[in-house]
Amino acid sequence: MKKRNLKKKNTQNNFSKLSVFQNQKFKFKKKCPLSGKGAPVIDYKNIKLLKKYISENGKILPSRITSVSQKKQRDLSLSIKRARNLALI
Amino acid sequence: MNFYEHTLIARQDTSPSQIKQLQEKYSKIIESNKGNILKFESWGLMHLSYLIKKNKKGNYIHFKIEGNGKTIEELEKSEKIDKNLLRYLTVKVKKLDLETDYFKKNEDKDKK
Repeated sequence: MKKRNLKKKNTQNNFSKLSVFQNQKFKFKKKCPLSGKGAPVIDYKNIKLLKKYISENGKILPSRITSVSQKKQRDLSLSIKRARNLALI
Repeated sequence: MNFYEHTLIARQDTSPSQIKQLQEKYSKIIESNKGNILKFESWGLMHLSYLIKKNKKGNYIHFKIEGNGKTIEELEKSEKIDKNLLRYLTVKVKKLDLETDYFKKNEDKDKK
């Protein structure tokens, strides 16, 4: 009886670990939300878009959190700074 | 010829007639220096996200211009002296999209 219980527990644990691993893999494989077809245009007037990539204190979020590509991150930071100059953000 | 986007912020206590005067004044400057105004937008009174010269709000005026570097020089020369203005920003653009108005949509949603 004891052995059976142990086996069951082991299998469950393995499954839970697998599922955790898969979730993490999916997280890392996120694509850039701003490149590709049908992506929104980065512009200093488009405040709704820019606010997604800003922390509550108004800082620019790093690309490793938002998974924005390098090129788009440069555009983003430029347009955010323009919007700051116009006091839009 | 290059394309430019040009925005102005005027003081909060400027009356609508004064804003029209500002618009006419700067559009004259642009046209006298070989520039063309392709589109004019007034975004209206908007909250500033931080104080500029003790102003909480600002009147936003937006031009889309086709012109040379000299027209922009002349524009900014006269804007630096103007006391009714708080800020200005010129951006050189490869292509102008004349269709999308980000701020008109916001106003409509606020009214609804």
